[in-house]
Amino acid sequence: MKKPIILIVLFLIIGSVLYAYKMYNKPHTDVASTEAAETVSAEDIFAAFDHDEAAAMIQYADKVITVEGILLSKDLSNELEPQIVLDGNGYDGFIRCGFKPEMLSKIVALEENSPVSIKGICGGMNGSEELDLLADTDVVLSNCTLID
Amino acid sequence: MKKITILTFAILGLGLVAFTNHGGGIYKTNTGNINFFSHTSVEDITADNHKVKTAFDATSGKIQFSALIKDFEFPKALMQEHFNENYMESTQFPKSTFNGTIENMSVVKTTVDGTYTSKVSGKLTIKDVTKDVSTIGTFTVKSGVVNTKATFTINPEDYNIKIPKTVSGKISREIKITVDADYRHAH
Repeated sequence: MKKPIILIVLFLIIGSVLYAYKMYNKPHTDVASTEAAETVSAEDIFAAFDHDEAAAMIQYADKVITVEGILLSKDLSNELEPQIVLDGNGYDGFIRCGFKPEMLSKIVALEENSPVSIKGICGGMNGSEELDLLADTDVVLSNCTLID
Repeated sequence: MKKITILTFAILGLGLVAFTNHGGGIYKTNTGNINFFSHTSVEDITADNHKVKTAFDATSGKIQFSALIKDFEFPKALMQEHFNENYMESTQFPKSTFNGTIENMSVVKTTVDGTYTSKVSGKLTIKDVTKDVSTIGTFTVKSGVVNTKATFTINPEDYNIKIPKTVSGKISREIKITVDADYRHAH
């Protein structure tokens, strides 16, 4: 009778250790293979954050989403994370999309002022009305992939 | 009449030289880097953000940063989750900002290649808690790009970041923050 109990306890301990190890080493979200929770236009997601940032954070933050919009510019000034900028409100609002460095050649090939569709993880809206030098605002996506 | 014309051109010329030497205007980037590093005997924790929005005014010396907390990327996904959900509560407090001054802006010649240093001080806000911080910034001007590097330390408890006792041995009370940004003239 003692033996089965020892075996069960041992099994539980090994299982817990394996589970903890697996959790500790779990990979980051693979955006390319994750289905987007939502597809939204660049104008609509910017308007959502601009109108009510707290509500937009709950709706979009940490989620893989697809954003469709017009590519305004490519920002390749940081080789650690090449970025592109979509028009958000036609004036001082943008969608900033960060890519892994290995995506650089695909980004370089993009044509400015053309429609693009980007899938990435939403991190929120950067910039602040309280900081006068940083009054323009960006809704930010990370680990992005291009949708053909 | 001739004298007045010569004098006018001389004043304009001097003004132009002064402006050119000093630079002036706003320098900006949306792709600045901030790294934070926590060292304990149990574990080292590091994370990077490459989408930091920052600008400085080369006339007044005003300098500002805005960084999204969720843009800090950790080597391990679980660490990133704990950082955002348990410690930073980043859905509720999505940004960290710095609003300060390059105290000796006049020594930083943004149009003359070279390396300059100046004290930078201001107010750092994390989780809606604002504290004074200061450090020495190094400004390296090369071909119109102003690279700025600065390092300072913060205590997470000063910013209402609560660390549970069960993991307190893994997280340092002195988090090293390193800033590295390439600014370009904006307008």
